[in-house]
Amino acid sequence: MIGRIVCALFLCGYLAVIVPFTTAVAHRPLAVKLGTMPSPEVLRPLSGGNRQFIAQYAVVKVLFYYGTLVEKFREKIYLKPEYENMFDTLQTAAKLDPWNSDVYYFTQAAFTWELRRIDEVNRLLEFGMRYRTWDYQLPFFLGFNNAYFRKDYAAAAPYFEKAAKLSHDPLMVNLSARYFSESGQNEMALRFIEFMQRRTTDRKMIALYEIRKQALIGALTVQKGAEEYRRRFGTPPARVSDLVAKGVLKSIPRDPYGGEYYLDEKGVVRSTSKFARPSTPPQQKGGVPSRRMD
Amino acid sequence: MSTFENFFRLSITSLLRDRLLYLLLSLAFLVLLLIPLFSMFSLRQVQELSVTLSLSALSLLLLVVAVLTGASSLWRDVEKRYTASVLGLPVSRGALVVGKFLAIATLLAAIAALFGLGSVLAIKVAAASYPADIPVRWDVFAAAVCFEYLKNVMLLSLAFLFSAVSTSFYFPFLASFAIYLAGSASQDVFEMLSGSYGQALLPSSRALIKGIYYLLPNFSAFDLKTQAIYALPLSPGTLVLTCIYFVCYTGLALSVAVWSFSRRELA
Repeated sequence: MIGRIVCALFLCGYLAVIVPFTTAVAHRPLAVKLGTMPSPEVLRPLSGGNRQFIAQYAVVKVLFYYGTLVEKFREKIYLKPEYENMFDTLQTAAKLDPWNSDVYYFTQAAFTWELRRIDEVNRLLEFGMRYRTWDYQLPFFLGFNNAYFRKDYAAAAPYFEKAAKLSHDPLMVNLSARYFSESGQNEMALRFIEFMQRRTTDRKMIALYEIRKQALIGALTVQKGAEEYRRRFGTPPARVSDLVAKGVLKSIPRDPYGGEYYLDEKGVVRSTSKFARPSTPPQQKGGVPSRRMD
Repeated sequence: MSTFENFFRLSITSLLRDRLLYLLLSLAFLVLLLIPLFSMFSLRQVQELSVTLSLSALSLLLLVVAVLTGASSLWRDVEKRYTASVLGLPVSRGALVVGKFLAIATLLAAIAALFGLGSVLAIKVAAASYPADIPVRWDVFAAAVCFEYLKNVMLLSLAFLFSAVSTSFYFPFLASFAIYLAGSASQDVFEMLSGSYGQALLPSSRALIKGIYYLLPNFSAFDLKTQAIYALPLSPGTLVLTCIYFVCYTGLALSVAVWSFSRRELA
């Protein structure tokens, strides 16, 4: 009898605690969910020959963490991402399994647009190119980073050439040619985002690209409106609002990052959000990756 | 039927009666079903992840079966006094050890073959959901499964060696597992010693570590996962050398196990 009472008490206790317990665990800080990975030098011998599995686990961990951030962003909740920890984890994954394409794909997706850590990303991509010798995407990313972010078309050229040779894809040849002509930056970026979006299976990443795509479509709409304005009136518009005032555009597109489109001194369309999430404080942009890929 | 064949058949029957084996095989079947689902966690290398998961799961399954059965089979026979009654007959202890070893090796081969075939299906399902940049090299995949099997047979011979000299189950179990970890890491340590880090060490320390390296089994040579996952070419010369290394090391470990067990006091 006593045994039954004790057992019933344990059962009641379990039923009482399970919901708050599950909620508390689910609401752990995001940083705790990401955690930290031991260095690859430690993980390699401990992996027991399964270092590819551990590398993929590290990537998936970062992916889940980043996916949660994207979800929060869509709910208008802005959290400061642990970019440094994310980058270190991805570097660890790359050292454990240098062939893993998810590492390079995700690094390209997350660390260029948001943080403009182009040098670090490019170093990682160069490291990956030594192993993934058949993969046209790594030189493609390197070419894009140099052309779009660095505006260094001479540095971009050999990468695009390599990507075109490896892929035999007319898109690469087309993109290379258009980059070299240094025109249509927003259109290039839009094509790049569409390229990335088509090549992922992760819904959260697709959603992330969708946000950026909408921002770029908005910029492109304003840019085309400005060109139409110049054709019609012979002078470029002074402000984006002129396009609506003169009936060129019905309305000014909305920047999903919360910024406003404007025309810079050269007449190029930009946004006050810089197409980055407002959670990224300026001082944080310098504080990422430290470790070098050798 | 020879004494050796009898031991082999009896050991196989005994292994197939083990409920733990069925539990492990059920778990392995569940893993195979989940591989296509888990592969979707990858951003864009779904097929590669399915190969990774298949080979890692097979590696773990073979490791558990090899260590558990290898560490317990001789010990269990001694504990149950089976050896006391059987070895009273005019049969050699060597036949008992080798018969049991080959029975477990056969079981491992059957598990590797079954899991390998199941993996082919799981990989095909995963690959169908997302087109991969590179096709699966099934010949390399088969080689990776075979070498994973050889690696675990080599570990099994060491588990037998420890079991032959031990009076408890724990020593061969833990020692085999430790050897597995050390043998998987030994090549990395050896290569590190050959670099600048090794130059900073005392020559005597370097010599000691190298001695341990040659004593330990080198499991990294049997690891063809990277080649199978990313369809990289194999080096036939290295594979042949690895096979010769396997035969020599396993034969040596098994010979010492037979020698030790033959001289052991079982009364």
